[in-house]
Amino acid sequence: MQVFFSIGVDALAYGMVLFIISIGLSVTMGLMRVVNLAHGAFAMIGGYIASYAARDLGLGYGFAIILAVIGTIIIAIPLERFLYRRIYGAPELTQVLMTIGITFCVIGLANYVFGPTLKTIPLPAGLQGPVDLGFRTIAAHKLFAIACGVVVALGLWFLIERTSFGVKLRASVDNTAMAASLGVRTRIVYAASFALAVGLAAFGGVIGAELLPVEPYYALRYMVTFLVVVSVGGAGSIPGALIACLLLGAIDTTGRYLVPEYGEFFFYLAVIAIVWVFPRGLLGRAK
Amino acid sequence: MSAPDIAALQPIQAARPWQRDLIGVAVILAAAIAGYFLFPDNLALLTRIIAIMLLVLSLDLVTGYCGVATLGHAALFGAGAYAAGIAAVTFGITEPLSMVAIGAIAGAVAGLVSGVVILRGHGLAQLVLSIAVIHLFHEAANKASTYTGGSDGLSGIAPDPVFGLFEFDLWGRTAYGFGIVLLVLVFVLLRILVRSPFGMLCRGIRQDPVRISAMGASVKASLIKMYVISGAVAGIGGALNAVSTQVVGLDSLSFTNSAEALVMLVLGGAGSLYGAFVGTIVFMWFEHVVSAANPFHWLTIVGALLIAVVLFAPKGLYGTAVTLSQRLTRSGP
Amino acid sequence: MKKLILAAAAAILLGGAAYADVIKIGVVGPFSGPFAIQGKNFKAGIDAYIATHGNKIGNDTVEILYRDVPQADPAQSKALAQELVVKEHVQYLAGFYFTPDAMAVTPLLQQANVPLVVMNAATSAIVTKSPYVVRTSFTTWQTSAPMAKIARERGVEKAITVVSDYGPGVDAENAFKSTFEKDGGKVVESIRMPLSTNDFSPVMQRVRNSGAQAVFAFLPSGPTTLGFVKAYNENGLKEAGVQFLAPGDLTQESDLPALGDAALGILTTFHYAIAHDSPENKAFVAAAQKAIGNPAELSFPSVGAYDGMHVIYKMIEATGGKQDAKKAVDAVKGLAWESPRGPVSIDPETRHITQNIYLREVAKAADGTYYNKEIKTFEKQPDPGLAAAK
Repeated sequence: MQVFFSIGVDALAYGMVLFIISIGLSVTMGLMRVVNLAHGAFAMIGGYIASYAARDLGLGYGFAIILAVIGTIIIAIPLERFLYRRIYGAPELTQVLMTIGITFCVIGLANYVFGPTLKTIPLPAGLQGPVDLGFRTIAAHKLFAIACGVVVALGLWFLIERTSFGVKLRASVDNTAMAASLGVRTRIVYAASFALAVGLAAFGGVIGAELLPVEPYYALRYMVTFLVVVSVGGAGSIPGALIACLLLGAIDTTGRYLVPEYGEFFFYLAVIAIVWVFPRGLLGRAK
Repeated sequence: MSAPDIAALQPIQAARPWQRDLIGVAVILAAAIAGYFLFPDNLALLTRIIAIMLLVLSLDLVTGYCGVATLGHAALFGAGAYAAGIAAVTFGITEPLSMVAIGAIAGAVAGLVSGVVILRGHGLAQLVLSIAVIHLFHEAANKASTYTGGSDGLSGIAPDPVFGLFEFDLWGRTAYGFGIVLLVLVFVLLRILVRSPFGMLCRGIRQDPVRISAMGASVKASLIKMYVISGAVAGIGGALNAVSTQVVGLDSLSFTNSAEALVMLVLGGAGSLYGAFVGTIVFMWFEHVVSAANPFHWLTIVGALLIAVVLFAPKGLYGTAVTLSQRLTRSGP
Repeated sequence: MKKLILAAAAAILLGGAAYADVIKIGVVGPFSGPFAIQGKNFKAGIDAYIATHGNKIGNDTVEILYRDVPQADPAQSKALAQELVVKEHVQYLAGFYFTPDAMAVTPLLQQANVPLVVMNAATSAIVTKSPYVVRTSFTTWQTSAPMAKIARERGVEKAITVVSDYGPGVDAENAFKSTFEKDGGKVVESIRMPLSTNDFSPVMQRVRNSGAQAVFAFLPSGPTTLGFVKAYNENGLKEAGVQFLAPGDLTQESDLPALGDAALGILTTFHYAIAHDSPENKAFVAAAQKAIGNPAELSFPSVGAYDGMHVIYKMIEATGGKQDAKKAVDAVKGLAWESPRGPVSIDPETRHITQNIYLREVAKAADGTYYNKEIKTFEKQPDPGLAAAK
């Protein structure tokens, strides 16, 4: 029983971290229909900014997070204007080519500017060290990540399902021409959603940095993980992504605990099994 | 998921039946001979390009002609490479043509397995299945280290001279010639294949699977058949790689290798086989030149190339060139 | 036919070298991609050697050509080495961070008449693949086995091993386990984790439940070590008194600033610490830090590269700049010198480096930086891995 709880706690924490980092990708892929393989690159940029702010400038953790989100969005604006706008609605493979190109550039530049060493984001005293749960200990920052995940999930769900912006976004995506003729300024809606996705990526990059440390190759190293969780959940579905992250987090954690030697088999066979049963993702909408 | 729409150009191409393919073969042979004399010291690289070209051609069959998006195609390539390597090291089959045949069979089997799995999903789910497949293959090869050498790689592959005459030498001349012959043979067979009724059927599936199944053809069976053929082609590429470099590493079964193959295909333009040639040569040659010029920061320049291609040649290099030449001929007298 | 080609090759290559006064050395390593920092250290070590010893040997000038293999990719490595030999006419091949990349090149050496100086790749068997291979780094067996002795000395009865599931990890596990059990200890469990593992919390829970007094770990240098060390602390293993033991890959100096306080007290055994106290090392570190630009990026591959250059210079001296792989390799068999890491020599039998292995503890210096503090020396350690394989 104790083992069960222990795995459960780890799974929840890992799943939530995955969720925070990946959910931005679900917005771009599912709602904006852009296969954005540069998602990890934006998360990494966020991580670098936060690390620079907190470690080198000595600013507070909260301030570093805000700076990371804003800074990454500012960097992303010209990219959206000059590059992404050209691939909205383009065939997926073209999008893949463009966003991989962007990722390569970002990796090369990060390596050049920041060097190849690991960058850490110092945590405030309150988030450091273990917290005793009675039957075991868990890192305080993991509890923080779980809380952040819950907030992000609720906030996004509210934004997309309950606000006029969400309505406009969904309308623009389903039929851009029709939405535009009804007076929705689709360009602005797209730009805003892109900024949202990038901001979420940066936020996730900072919160998840304890688990996925910031270094130049970050942008490609975890791309597969992000792609898998988003697609298993069904792109564009916030609850779907959440369930997928928790489920895959649980599978991964259980595998690593019980059969670490075959952890990789365990995880990917489970992915195949899930997709076999849900060929469009857990809560994916049929096209 | 659909490839850039070069298939729209196909009817024009089909209208001029065999001339274009003859020209194609002539161009490949001319390029091969030119490569041999212009870059006599780079034959190892050229042979590697040929091996990867076979992988990209094989990917074009499923992605360009059937519309299957996959980031796991290296599984087929790696299966061929390991099968040929293991045949040589463990079972003492060192005759190069037999090794290639074994590679082709192993590739076809891997194609069957991954085809059955990957074709279960659609869109993104398909992509994820392909990612899962490549990781399972990779992990299996890592675990079976008795046969595969695990992460240390499978070394000690010593192929016999081709026909007992041409030894695999330091300059890579034999390997290069061997590769070119394989490539031309495969290319001719593939052109026949994609022109055949079966090839047309697959192209139809890519454009509208519902209509094809309404016509009474089995979509899934056709796609799996294509996957097996594609696997054989990729397997030949893998075996060529094993024969020419005499070593197989886990990287041949990696996600990175799969993703790079996809990038090369899209760079050249999917759905014509010619695009696969152009994309592979341009990507690998460009990468080779910039990474030798600056081994530390070349990735940025490769990234910029990819972005530039999307901006200025959105149908891929070959597709855009075809469109341009058609526009020129049409606006001409 | 074969002899004819060989003779032709020898004639071209020898002829080319006899008149050339530029001696080219081809260095293959990971200069971009996830292991870029290790390649950068190769270059720093080489640059440091050239800065302190000049680029001239007699009348000959040394020129270095770098080629990038970002991740282990033996086919690519072989193609590049082949090109370096036939196109660039390099007389020496050097570098090689990953074992498969080095293994792939060994079949070329004889025909190319080129010695290979391995500056990192740490699997014991590489030196057996060709008589022209010399290694100036270490093997995982060499750096891991002494740790088992330390564990026994410190009264550890039951240990658990946790390694990444690939060649070097398995080597480390075998080295520790066999030495530890020979000395009367017991390895209660051996965990192998996939290389892609990010979250180590479940593994740490298992370590905890195993009841071992010490955990011996091996992961490749880089981002995952950070998560691993943090998980060790956060899951309360440090407080529970489970001693953390590892070869020095886990606490390479370039990762220490990121690991921070979490790494304090970790015991590692390794061949080189940047903090090693000797005049040779001080001179080396000063030159290498200057070469690499950012001193925080300096790490162990630099010393393998530095000593590799030393060996190559000796080879060039011995052959008078003529291409003769056999003579070159014979000349350095038994060569002994004072390296930045301490006294070293090339074992004439295995062509692998015999060196001191140090027990180190991660400590905090007065200025707030972290370093590997050497606390014990195992002198003149050969590679136990080859003997174990027999």
